[in-house]
Amino acid sequence: MKAVASDSSELKSSKLKPGVNRGLSIFDFILRLAAIVGALGSAIAMGTTTQTLPFATQFIQFRAEYNDLPMFTFFVVACAIVSGYLVLSLPLSIFHILRSRARATRVVLVFLDAGMMALLTSGASAAAAIVYLAHKGNGKTNWLAICQQFNSFCERTSGSLIGSFVAIVLLMIMIFLSGAALSRRH
Amino acid sequence: MKNSGDSTVIDVPPTAASSKKKAVVSTAAPGQASGGVKRGLSIFDFVLRLGALGAALGAAAAMGTSDETLPFFTQFFQFEASYDDLPTFQFFLIAMGIVAGYLALSLPFSIVCIVRPRAVGLRLLLLILDTVVLTLATSAAAAAAAIVYLAHDGNTSTNWLAICDQFDDFCQKVSGAVIGAFIAALLMMFLVLLSAFGIRNTH
Repeated sequence: MKAVASDSSELKSSKLKPGVNRGLSIFDFILRLAAIVGALGSAIAMGTTTQTLPFATQFIQFRAEYNDLPMFTFFVVACAIVSGYLVLSLPLSIFHILRSRARATRVVLVFLDAGMMALLTSGASAAAAIVYLAHKGNGKTNWLAICQQFNSFCERTSGSLIGSFVAIVLLMIMIFLSGAALSRRH
Repeated sequence: MKNSGDSTVIDVPPTAASSKKKAVVSTAAPGQASGGVKRGLSIFDFVLRLGALGAALGAAAAMGTSDETLPFFTQFFQFEASYDDLPTFQFFLIAMGIVAGYLALSLPFSIVCIVRPRAVGLRLLLLILDTVVLTLATSAAAAAAAIVYLAHDGNTSTNWLAICDQFDDFCQKVSGAVIGAFIAALLMMFLVLLSAFGIRNTH
């Protein structure tokens, strides 16, 4: 009788704990899908931004494209790499839903998520610095604000930064989720 | 042994005690081994934290003391340059100050993790805060790197001239600050990996 009672309490504890980890893994999968949308949308929005002014002057170019500025090119490349990584890591996330006790693969996922988050943050910050400069210019270094001529170009590039910042926050939350899932007792 | 009807009562206290003792001995060994590994990881974490603190402080100091005044002046260009002139560099200085402050404040928590290898809540807190500060450091370093690249090369499409041709010392110090910030961010990435590795529950 005593042996049967202890068996049922062990079964209860082993059934409850993987449930929370499974919930964390499902939430991680959903966030991964949302981050793919954010990063891919940013890459496409920045990559398809061109504006041609109807007039021409002697000093200022009358056509603006994303690859005129190498920081924007880096931003598009970084967003594309991160969205590709997120798509490739979806099977790993599904594996974590099915096997909630996996530890080594979660550590690998945390490291790759951190690396990709750093890449995306650097691309988005560099592009944000250039967008700020394009909006305000700088009197001390004689850099003129080009947004006064290229209005729609500026608006499009500023808007495409939003998707990448959302993807950065989602990647950060995914790292927290993986850390919480790793620290729980089984 | 007593036979009373259907049930038989068997006295087993001596064997139960000896089996309990055996169980205690068998589970203590892997627990001690994982404690030793975790302690090694925590010591490495502390060393990395010191390195990242040094890199972040160096980057902030290099950016803060990057003033340069040229001995001549022309009609069109300003003859002195400092980090104040560019808001991105101001953001860089403030962000690296925050990063260095966080790393200095987290050193005692890292020491606590060395002393107590099983403090899981503290490790999770350090993981979360390390990730947030890694994002801040990477963001500051990348934004300043974009401006430094622009200062070195200029941009013909937007008519932005390269100012490094005049302000050589200023550019060198600022470039050094950006490199220091990237080193700090790289070390913090390894800190996140170590925290994730040490946080897993091996029982």
